[in-house]
Amino acid sequence: MVRNIVILSGNSHPELSEAVCNILGVPAGNRVLSKFSVGETRCEIQDSVRGKDVFIIQSGGGSINDHLIELCIMISACKTGSAKRVTAVLPLFPYSRQPDLPYNKIGAPLSKPPTEVPKEKYTFESVPATPAPGITKTPSFNKETDLARVLSKTSLTNGNGNGNGNGNGNGVHRPNGDYFVNGDTTTSRASTGSSLTHTASFTTHDYENPSLVSTFQAKPGYKRWVAQAGTLVADLLTCAGADHVVALDLHDPQYQGFFDIPMDNLYGRPLLKRYIQQNIPDYKEAVIVSPDAGGAKRATAIADSLGMEFALIHKERRPTRITDRQNATMMLVGNVMNRVCILIDDLADTANTITRAAKLLRKEGATAVYALLTHGVFSGDAIQRINASALDKVIVTNSVPQHEHRKLCPKLEVLDVAPIFAEAIRRIHHGESISVLFHYD
Amino acid sequence: MGDMANEIKLLTGNSHPKLASLVADRLGIQIAKTMSLNYSNQETSVTIGESVRDEDVFILQSTAPGDINDGLMELLIMIHACRTASARRITAVIPNFPYARQDKKDKSRAPISAKLIANMLQTAGCNHVITMDLHASQIQGFFNVPVDNLYAEPSVLRWIRENLAGQEYVIVSPDAGGAKRATSIADRLDRGFALIHKERPRPNVVGRMVLVGDVVDKVAILVDDMADTCGTLAKAAATVREHGAREVIAVVTHGILSGDAINILNKSDLSQIVVTNTVPLGDKERLCKKLRVIDVSPTIAEAIRRTHNGESVSFLFNHAPA
Repeated sequence: MVRNIVILSGNSHPELSEAVCNILGVPAGNRVLSKFSVGETRCEIQDSVRGKDVFIIQSGGGSINDHLIELCIMISACKTGSAKRVTAVLPLFPYSRQPDLPYNKIGAPLSKPPTEVPKEKYTFESVPATPAPGITKTPSFNKETDLARVLSKTSLTNGNGNGNGNGNGNGVHRPNGDYFVNGDTTTSRASTGSSLTHTASFTTHDYENPSLVSTFQAKPGYKRWVAQAGTLVADLLTCAGADHVVALDLHDPQYQGFFDIPMDNLYGRPLLKRYIQQNIPDYKEAVIVSPDAGGAKRATAIADSLGMEFALIHKERRPTRITDRQNATMMLVGNVMNRVCILIDDLADTANTITRAAKLLRKEGATAVYALLTHGVFSGDAIQRINASALDKVIVTNSVPQHEHRKLCPKLEVLDVAPIFAEAIRRIHHGESISVLFHYD
Repeated sequence: MGDMANEIKLLTGNSHPKLASLVADRLGIQIAKTMSLNYSNQETSVTIGESVRDEDVFILQSTAPGDINDGLMELLIMIHACRTASARRITAVIPNFPYARQDKKDKSRAPISAKLIANMLQTAGCNHVITMDLHASQIQGFFNVPVDNLYAEPSVLRWIRENLAGQEYVIVSPDAGGAKRATSIADRLDRGFALIHKERPRPNVVGRMVLVGDVVDKVAILVDDMADTCGTLAKAAATVREHGAREVIAVVTHGILSGDAINILNKSDLSQIVVTNTVPLGDKERLCKKLRVIDVSPTIAEAIRRTHNGESVSFLFNHAPA
């Protein structure tokens, strides 16, 4: 029994809030949370929060914008209702993945030629590949819009059928374009036997409306600017009045630095580790696999602490242009022949990455493929994709509601994170250290 | 274009592209290339396709009924994207301010959401706000940045003068809160005024109504700042009819018309409902033959032009650009 605490639940994940309340032995706070007919969120906190320690549990799945605004309104309502402290508990942090399309991991623009053929004016003479104004264009130049497709084809087929794409006889030199063709085909050749080429859609961010994307053209000479919503979301929570934020397995640990208020990033790793130890037979013989280089650290941490072997899938993601279906090439580093593979990742959204990784692992001789994920968003047709995939089992936590997913996917198993959050809330409330929950190992 | 720094860049979200293109036409500029869409996990993604460095950025985003929160996040992300892309000044043009009705703590622990939205806009990086007919003009005080609250009144006055010339009409306020707005219009037109007092037991539900003033054998013009579910309007129209009005017309700035509004309007005693195009109407004009639309894009465009050039905007409070 914990006193002087109010636990409020958003609309995103009532089951988790209920489970947390049960563990803590406190009733959930009463609130009305609905929508007016115009679509504005309506919120009324019915229990007094004056002088109380308020925790609001709201996950980031489903209609994310509604849930985020809902959370901000609840925080603000508690703050103006004289709550002593308001803690936002976000099992899945919304907007935690920054769009990764036109820029690579270190933030530098991917080397690619301007895809749009400049037509009238030039505003950026500093861009090397942009011809200066005054150069007349012949009609053949316009066909260059097909260049990207031709390029992607070359990287897929490993051939060098780039002749027709670049064959413009007007003397405009496109150094980047030539460079790019060479670079891409070399890498896909270098991946020798253990590579799979794919024409599948974006691996993590599946655009809902591909036709819109394909018609979108940046102004000639300008590289598009993709909004990075991460800092914004952190700022919005702070400006709504949150005093403390709790999250689980943030995609980027740097995200913590976006906040000026205390932020605790809990880890789902102990849960995953326990699952491996208890549910996978002869787990010492299995191989931990990271489906991409970004998750290598996460996966090696588990592999090291369990004394297991480790393999990595390297994903070559170099879009020739944003609209292209990404011609990602996957290659496996490490040996999985006749072994059980355990894919470790923090989040599966469209499930493209893990299903393709599973396919590759099977091809490389894996006997069984498990996927252990902290967050199973499973948007779009992710569930169908998993059902049809080479994955034998997918284990996720209930950081987002999994009821519907479980009904549709017999491969899915769900681990309960309510105890982690309940313990974190209890410790935060009592001012005890929560570092035991971190398990830095 | 590019060599002259600090021009107007008009960006628009997905909520009301039609109004944005009207404003852009009026200003004689192109809408800046942007793309905003939802990922399959429903997160909003915004891409800006041209430089806004050191430019005077105006982002027009209305609130389409149904996905208010999506539109709001889209606007916030766009503002933030422009700020991180080094825009000189960012002005949010929000013809219909969202959450404007949740502007006071009318009971314990009720959120003042309008204030929260104001804070969010400023947090995202907005330097200036242009809006129209705020539900309560005090909302301007929620901001620490300049807010220009434009009025649809000049456009409304013009519509009434042009369409009801020579008719005997009276301005009616459907509730006590709108009395000031209605009397202002009545005074400017030099016509009579009446008021309906209503009891409201719950939000979106309307109780008993009492009419104060004379409407017998006149055209009654109901004036309000917004029509949402239209329960109030329909009941007011019925009340005014009972008291002997010859015809009932409603003139409303923000035609949100959510929920069952179109049905209610079609069945109501109103002969016409006049709204401005601050809110996207979709196919509502087709579904409701009584609907008339006043275009306020000239006012918005002129406000943008004047703001950009550092001219006074107050002229627009009394005059509608032709």
